[in-house]
Amino acid sequence: MKTRKMLRFSPWLAWVFFLGILIIAGAIAAFFVYWKGLSVTNLTDLVPWGLWITIDLTSIAISAGAFSLCAIVYLLGLKRFQPVARTATFIGLLGYTMAILTLLLDIGRPDRFWHSLVFWNVHSLLWEVTMCVTLYLGVLLLETLPIFANFEWLRSRWPKLAARMSQAHHLAPFLAVAGLALSMLHQSSLGALYGVLKARPLWYRPDISLLFIISAVACGMAITVLASMVSARLTGRANVDDSLLDRISQIVGWILVFYLYFRFWDSLAMTYTYEPGRTEGLRLLTRGALSFNFWIVDILLGIIFPMVILVNKQTRSMPFWRMLALLLVVSGVAAFRWDTNLSGLLIVMSYVPGTPTMGYTTYRPSLIEILSGAAIVSFGLLAFSLGVRYLRVVDHQVLDHAETGTQAQTLKEIPTPSAD
Amino acid sequence: MKKTNFNRRDFLKITAVGATALAGLQVIRRVQASGSAPSGGRQWALAIDQSKCTGCGYCVMACKAHNDVAPDITWNPVLEVGKTGDKTVYLPRPCMQCANAPCVDVCPVKASIYRPDGIVMIDYDRCIGCRYCEVACPYGARSFTWKKFTGPNPAVPQWGESEVERRPRGVVEKCTFCYQRIDRGMELGLTPGVDQDATPACVNVCPTGARIFGDIHDPESPVSQYLRAHSSYRLREDLGTAPRVYFIAADVKDM
Repeated sequence: MKTRKMLRFSPWLAWVFFLGILIIAGAIAAFFVYWKGLSVTNLTDLVPWGLWITIDLTSIAISAGAFSLCAIVYLLGLKRFQPVARTATFIGLLGYTMAILTLLLDIGRPDRFWHSLVFWNVHSLLWEVTMCVTLYLGVLLLETLPIFANFEWLRSRWPKLAARMSQAHHLAPFLAVAGLALSMLHQSSLGALYGVLKARPLWYRPDISLLFIISAVACGMAITVLASMVSARLTGRANVDDSLLDRISQIVGWILVFYLYFRFWDSLAMTYTYEPGRTEGLRLLTRGALSFNFWIVDILLGIIFPMVILVNKQTRSMPFWRMLALLLVVSGVAAFRWDTNLSGLLIVMSYVPGTPTMGYTTYRPSLIEILSGAAIVSFGLLAFSLGVRYLRVVDHQVLDHAETGTQAQTLKEIPTPSAD
Repeated sequence: MKKTNFNRRDFLKITAVGATALAGLQVIRRVQASGSAPSGGRQWALAIDQSKCTGCGYCVMACKAHNDVAPDITWNPVLEVGKTGDKTVYLPRPCMQCANAPCVDVCPVKASIYRPDGIVMIDYDRCIGCRYCEVACPYGARSFTWKKFTGPNPAVPQWGESEVERRPRGVVEKCTFCYQRIDRGMELGLTPGVDQDATPACVNVCPTGARIFGDIHDPESPVSQYLRAHSSYRLREDLGTAPRVYFIAADVKDM
């Protein structure tokens, strides 16, 4: 009888099974990467960064909800958003974990990942990003301690430890300051990392850093609201206060207004005069191989469409349209990262006098890159699903989750006598 | 009154503070030495006369042999760049050993460094293989070791013997002006650019003498004399990288 019950189909098991298969396939692909080296990818000396870097940059962008919502709650003092910030912080932890997993695939010597922490080159933006990401991962771990204290098994097994972990919420305001500082440094530096390269005229512009942080904040808030809404619709273990999500969606809509404005001037300013490499790059984006990504996924569906939906109260109140708009924001930011990286690399710059550019090259990720990348995304989805199920990361009912278990229970008990 | 004395503890304290300060200064000096372009002492430079280059590719092969480079990687390619009159013009492209090298600036682990003599070196034991330097280099001078180089080097022994350790898989490598030949030659009291045993392999092997090497700070070195006698240019000077490889443009009268 019991075995029959276990074998019975449930949507949850099917979901976990599906993600599990993707993760196993990706693990096999990753094994090939370590066994054969990066020659199994379609990366070349002309295009040394590809799909994995895009996943890496997008994972960090979806994590930007953590610092921005924590700043709203603890620095601006809008305490009612605390449960949403809690979800965002958990997503942030997963996002940075995904980014580090992708980097471990991407660098040629993953066994030397710790070198940038020991051998400092303060001139390098990549060094700065690595330091900030490492420190911020520590901040996120402290911020998520009270969330992990919610784990039922932990609470019954080691109640004292769980209570200790819950106490970490007292640090929240300080962690919010640290998180804001570290994020404002590296979220923009990820764009500046491209922007400082004089040899790549399409990238060599000062505002790419600002575009990265603005789009990351929109993306991070969007995925937090989207994940909360989807969870609340699929499982009873998540419950949301829609007025909070509605307000954050509106904020995302307004961020998109400014983001679109900056993107407009960023693009327009690059069209003024012919510059070798830059003009070819713009042509690649607006008319060439990346034009569908640029016009449709990034600008139209990634910014303009969700901006209209999310700023307008009526369309924003319709769950389907709001969820669609938020999803498109995330895919638009991913497309922007993909395009930014590739548009600079696909133009082969020339050093031959009188020949400013050599032409275009191409890049299409290999199956192994796609499988291992999909596994990292699946890992994020699985970890979030487990978080919803066992850690209640989407729960807007209990006001202060950081309280210890017993206090949270008392809070829940209060309405019962008054209802009698 | 208490006697003012300078006891053992004070002495230790002052010594410790002094030693720490000295060590700190030493660290700062070392950081400066590797992080910013050197200017004093010997500075190696290479001149390539495009009028003399016939595109034979001997330098490509000698480089592969002496530096044990994998067959699918070329540190020093020779490009066909056009015609002057009815003669084809070639452009050999070693690493430019820039004085303001973008690769040195961007490396997150300081694996790319300036030697005091101006050669830009990669510490293959430190490189993590992030490939940011490849993205930053305007000359495409850097190659990533996508796969492990195993088996014999097809360029050896016909084009020379390998003189350096083979690079591991997963790091970035490039031309080093044959630093191993320079260093060993100098130890033997030889002059790079004059004596073959202290001069880069590509310079020695060139059948037309299109490559001239030496210390650009020494006015009597072959490279200094050649550059005084001919007008020259460097690649992408507009970027401000200050390359140490000079080209003498092809002139149909000299070909």
